[in-house]
Amino acid sequence: MTTLQLFMYAGAFILVVGVAATLLVRDLIRRLIALNVASGGVMLLWLALADRGDGEPDPVPQALVLTGIVVMAAVTGIAIVLARRVEQLDDDLEEVEQ
Amino acid sequence: MTVIAFSDVDVLDVLVVAAVAVTAILAIAIPRRVGATIAFLVFGLLLALLWARVAAPDVAIAEAALGGGVAGALLVDALHRRQPAQPKRDHRRAVAITAVGAALGAVTFAALATVLSRLTAEPADLGPLALEAVERSGVSHPITAVLLNFRNLDTLLEIAVVVFAAVGAAALSRDRIRTVTDPGPVRRVIAVIIVPALVLLAAWLLVAGTSEPGGAFQAGAVLGAALIIAHLCGVRAARAAGGRALVLVVAGLLAFILLGGIGLAVTGTWLALDLSWAFAAILSIETLLTVSIGVALAMLFLAAGSRDDAAAADSAAAAPALGGAA
Repeated sequence: MTTLQLFMYAGAFILVVGVAATLLVRDLIRRLIALNVASGGVMLLWLALADRGDGEPDPVPQALVLTGIVVMAAVTGIAIVLARRVEQLDDDLEEVEQ
Repeated sequence: MTVIAFSDVDVLDVLVVAAVAVTAILAIAIPRRVGATIAFLVFGLLLALLWARVAAPDVAIAEAALGGGVAGALLVDALHRRQPAQPKRDHRRAVAITAVGAALGAVTFAALATVLSRLTAEPADLGPLALEAVERSGVSHPITAVLLNFRNLDTLLEIAVVVFAAVGAAALSRDRIRTVTDPGPVRRVIAVIIVPALVLLAAWLLVAGTSEPGGAFQAGAVLGAALIIAHLCGVRAARAAGGRALVLVVAGLLAFILLGGIGLAVTGTWLALDLSWAFAAILSIETLLTVSIGVALAMLFLAAGSRDDAAAADSAAAAPALGGAA
């Protein structure tokens, strides 16, 4: 097993763990963290793939990972705003029920 | 099937990978938000070590500024909110769901591992092609060439995602963004020292990106961090909200679309750049993108951090009563 294979399998493992938790966890913020963990796994997998061979690493996957980091930050931002909105509406609903 | 031997692998690599895997599991398994967030931040930090091992300094810079910086700030900022009590699930049902999830996860991992084990050690054809074409792109750094020339449609769509996220977040929390009224002397001094340094760093990352690691994404992330710090230190002008911020964010997207149109008019291909003006076009669009991304990230942070104080106090007061009722 080479170092890159180790990184690839670790990336796949983290991806699977993150996706499973994204689907199973019910707390919204924790679900968002799980999604971020999954994206970390994808990045590790892809950057290891980009670094195969002896020469310079393949710039295409690296560029796509960079794009992914920015998109993930934007998604995290709007998801936190939406999560707060949902929780506030739930709070309001509970108050009404009382 | 080769026997898995760790003899070829550095012990330190194994340790870091194991630590990454453990923190990933902790980040998803800890039931309290605070613990999960801390585990996630450590996870991001350890990942940055691995980026150095796979020769990806651009990703490491972006991850440090965005993954650990802005996203970390967003998540930590969300911690002050009360974690709503989860409705109690039947214990047996919870165990069953976890077991099914673990089983499906194991199957998925096995499938992925099978695919990975059949990959050749040879790099894909696209990499050498891209590296070969760098000299015809207008910039000398391969990743910037890919992002702003060969695959600039991806970057155009990415900036569109960022703009939509910023506009959406701002629309959802328009009236609740608070201004920091009295930052105190310490924070004022911090603003005077750190903010200009960060703006300078962003400008350097932007220009350096044409020939070495760096570029619009990293510069935008640093600029976003500078705006957030300035806002928290009470600098009014740095408040990334309202129409002015919106114009700056949308300008990057519109300029990129305009550049695509110019490419169509001059070269006959949508978004294509001619070598004679590619460098100027890339640097100008990167400058606009930096401002766009920076302001958008600051907008997202302000929108996510905004809070309705009255409602928060109400719900905090209502919490014990709810606990009693349940």
